[in-house]
Formats: sequence, C-alpha cells, structure tokens
Amino acid sequence: MGKLEGKVACITGGTRSIGRAMAETFVAEGAKVVVNGRDEEKGQKCIEEMDAGESVAFFAGDASEQSTVEGLVDFSLETFGQLDICCLNSGGVQMTAPVADMTDEEWKLEVDWNLNHVFWGMRKALNHMIPREYGRILVTSSVEGKLGKPGIPGYVATKHAVNGLVKVAAQEVGTLGITVNAILPGVVETDILRDTGPASAVAMGLDGYDALVELFTSDSAIKRPNTVEEVAAVALLLASDSGRNITGTLFPVDGGTMPY
Amino acid sequence: MGELDGRVACVTGGTRGIGRAIAEALLREGASVVINGRSEEKGAKALEEIGAGDKAHFISADVKSREGCESIISGTVEKYGKIDILVANAGGASNHAPVAELTDEAMEDSLVWNFWHTFWTMRASLGHMIPQGWGRIIAVSSVEGKVGKPGLAIYVAAKHAINGLVKSSAQEVGTLGVTVNAVCPGLIETDIVKEVLPIAAESMGLESYEAALDLFAQESAIKRLNEVEDVAEVCVLLTSEAGAGITGSLISIDGGTAPY
Repeated sequence: MGKLEGKVACITGGTRSIGRAMAETFVAEGAKVVVNGRDEEKGQKCIEEMDAGESVAFFAGDASEQSTVEGLVDFSLETFGQLDICCLNSGGVQMTAPVADMTDEEWKLEVDWNLNHVFWGMRKALNHMIPREYGRILVTSSVEGKLGKPGIPGYVATKHAVNGLVKVAAQEVGTLGITVNAILPGVVETDILRDTGPASAVAMGLDGYDALVELFTSDSAIKRPNTVEEVAAVALLLASDSGRNITGTLFPVDGGTMPY
Repeated sequence: MGELDGRVACVTGGTRGIGRAIAEALLREGASVVINGRSEEKGAKALEEIGAGDKAHFISADVKSREGCESIISGTVEKYGKIDILVANAGGASNHAPVAELTDEAMEDSLVWNFWHTFWTMRASLGHMIPQGWGRIIAVSSVEGKVGKPGLAIYVAAKHAINGLVKSSAQEVGTLGVTVNAVCPGLIETDIVKEVLPIAAESMGLESYEAALDLFAQESAIKRLNEVEDVAEVCVLLTSEAGAGITGSLISIDGGTAPY
C-alpha cells in the first residue's frame, strides 16, 4: 500500500527538477498526478519518461497566467475526478536587477510567476477542498523566503509573500482537514537554476554560475546544494496522512542555512 | 526494505509517549533501537509490548545525570556495535512557578532534565558519529522552544536552549555526514503531560488541566492537540537518507501554532 493510494495531485512546474521529483514520488506511492509545464514537447517527454500509464497526465501552460493555474485544477478534476494535493511549485528568478533599477514590467513578471500563481492555485484548490474537508496544499518557497540577497528583489519579495499567504490560509482552513505548508529548499541545481543562474550571478556581482552555487552552499552547514529527492521526501510527508497535523509551517530543506 | 535497515538508534525516555512512538517507527523502518527509561519494570513491559525481539533493547538510566546519559550511549554501542541515530526525547518540567517566585532548584531540575540531558547525550553520540562520518541527532524540543507562556519559564527556557544547541552543533558537523535537528511538537496528551500539566495549569493561572489542554489546542490552526505518531513520522524522515539535506532546523509539528 502506497502512502497516497487513491489521492490525486497536481503540480505546477512538474515536468522537471523539484516538481518532477515530487510527481515521481507521489506516483510511486499510489497517487494519480497531473504535471504542468509551459512546453508541450517537454511535457510529453516527461510523461513518457515517467512511464506511469494512466496515473499521470500533462497540462500545458505558463504558470504565471491565471488561466493556466485555474485550468490545471479544472483539468485535474476532469481527468481524475478530484484533487487532494495541490503543489504550487513553479517559480524562479526571471528578472535580475537591483531594486533601484528594476522596472515595473520586470517586477510584475516576478510577482505573477512566484506569488500570483500561488494565490490563484491556492484559491481555486481550496474551493474544491473546503467542501470535501480534505486537502493538502504545498508551496515550493525558498530560503529566500526568509533571507535576502542583492540583485534578486522580485524573487526574494515574492517568496516572503507566499510564506505569509501560507500562514494565513493554514489558519483559515485548519479545522477543515486541509493543511497548507511551504517547503523552503536551499539551492538545488535544477534545470531552471542552470537556465537563470548565470544572469542572477551577474546581477549579484558574482563571477558566473559556479560562483552563485558556491555562494549559496557556503551559507549552509552541509556546504553542498540540496537535492530534488530531499525536497520530494518532505513533500511526501506533508502530503500523506502522517502530515495531517502539520500546517502553517515553513519547512526547511536547506542544509542548515536559515537562521530561524 | 525499510528506510533505516542496518541503523542503530537510541531514544531517551523511550518507554512511553512520544519516545515510544518514535522507537516503534524506527523499528518498523528496520533500525535496531535502544529505548531508555528510569524503571526496569516499565522498560521490560515496553519491550514486551513492542515485541521486536533482539532488535529492541532497554537501558535503565536516569537522564538527570551525566553518568546516566553517557551510560545510555555507551550501552547502545556495546549492545549493537555503534550508534547512528540519537533521539534525545526525555524531558518535561514539574515545578512550575512564575519567574518572580521560581526557586533555583526548580530551574536547575528542568535544565538538567531537558537541556543538560540533550547536551550530554549529544556530546557522547557525536564522539561516535563524527569518526564514522554518519549520524542523525534529533532533539525533541517543543513549540515552547519558539514561544513563551507565562508561568512556564523553566520549560520554555530549557527548550529554547536546546534549539540553540541544535543550531550550533549542526553548523559544526554539517560537512561530516551528521545532521542535528529539533522537532517542536505542540501539546500532546502523553502520560507525562497528564502527570505534570495540572501543575503547569496552576502556575499559568488556569482553573484546570482541561483548561490548559484547551488553551494549547485553541492556539493552533487545527484546534486540537497533536499526536505522537505525527512526531514519529517526521523523525523517520529526518533519520532517513533523504534527511541528509536537512540540518539545524526546528521543525514545527504543532498544527499551525508557532509563528515561525
């Protein structure tokens, strides 16, 4: 018996890296999973690689658009009949600039992707979960939801904001069988970090991607990046029955980086 | 295949309550487990109830002494050849009073029982874990390690101190394959709570034991108490391979009570 037998999950940004590891872990524990990503081709490749038959489906769309996030919840209901676990995992550093130089347009891109996407998905999922009195909402936040680094103000501010959103929602639905938690990974060498890391490094005044990874890992006690499997294991705990009494937490998976 | 096959664990205060649930979860995952308690009789009864044969072993010792704490660790190594996992779980406080009226003896008793016991067992365990390059230390702290309540200073101060100890030692051994974390449960109605909470209730100016239970439950988002199994499953995660990337953290298992 898997720990998620009979459960249905959806995961934004689920075709690669952290989201993909969550999807694979959930499927291995008996859940049916809808993964979302922007690229139809990568989505199909993901489904093929996961090789989980009818237990996994793909929903294409940009998570920074409301129609995608809400559409993902609807699609999950249409495909699998219910939604028990909503993982709002997509996100990243899209725009890098010191606060003094960041434009309104750049700021809005970061807010839509990292914050609004979480709000839209959470609201939509809660409206399905509250009447059923069961649900698990997991937000992939970041150590940058508690700390701050120069050059990535949009990311840091939005990750702080989702942590606040998680705390509020958890209090609102605490007696309704629904938990709402954030997972705060330290640096994980995901595809998205490899894509956006070089630009972040420049904005932060660092000498390239390796220096960026080194800076984050040197902040930790373990002096290495975290892994997607480490994040997925926490997601499984929070999504399973064992997580029923854990809510409103900002769960660190950061090798001892954050001070609180 | 369990998550902890081949591992050796030691749980102080392991015959009842949270410690017992942790011991049983670690056994289920394949570890050999030493449980500690004061009473030979309760220890024998616990072993019988657990029914794990030679995989479980009882060591009688009072954690309120350095010799007692060190004998638990050396006894674990003697019995099973090593120690991989320490759960410093024993603790409580019985002589509550407002700070203005606190005696030295009351404060000292709580610090020895909660904080010094954690330090003594941690130090002795690190002596084995550092050379073998693998270890997991979990201190069972409390939501009161993050917040404070009137009338509970002896307990609140001791649990805060444990959280500080965890953060420092995690930084020291982060690159050596050893993780050090605290779990911070909300109130759980264990045997020890039934024994000592009436005294705490009086110190807090509450009219009854039930009023104290209700106060703690009402502070949470779930409006109910936690359960020992909640804590045990987080301990399995932290001690497993996937827990390698989590250290120096204070994991809340409190139904949404602690503010951070």
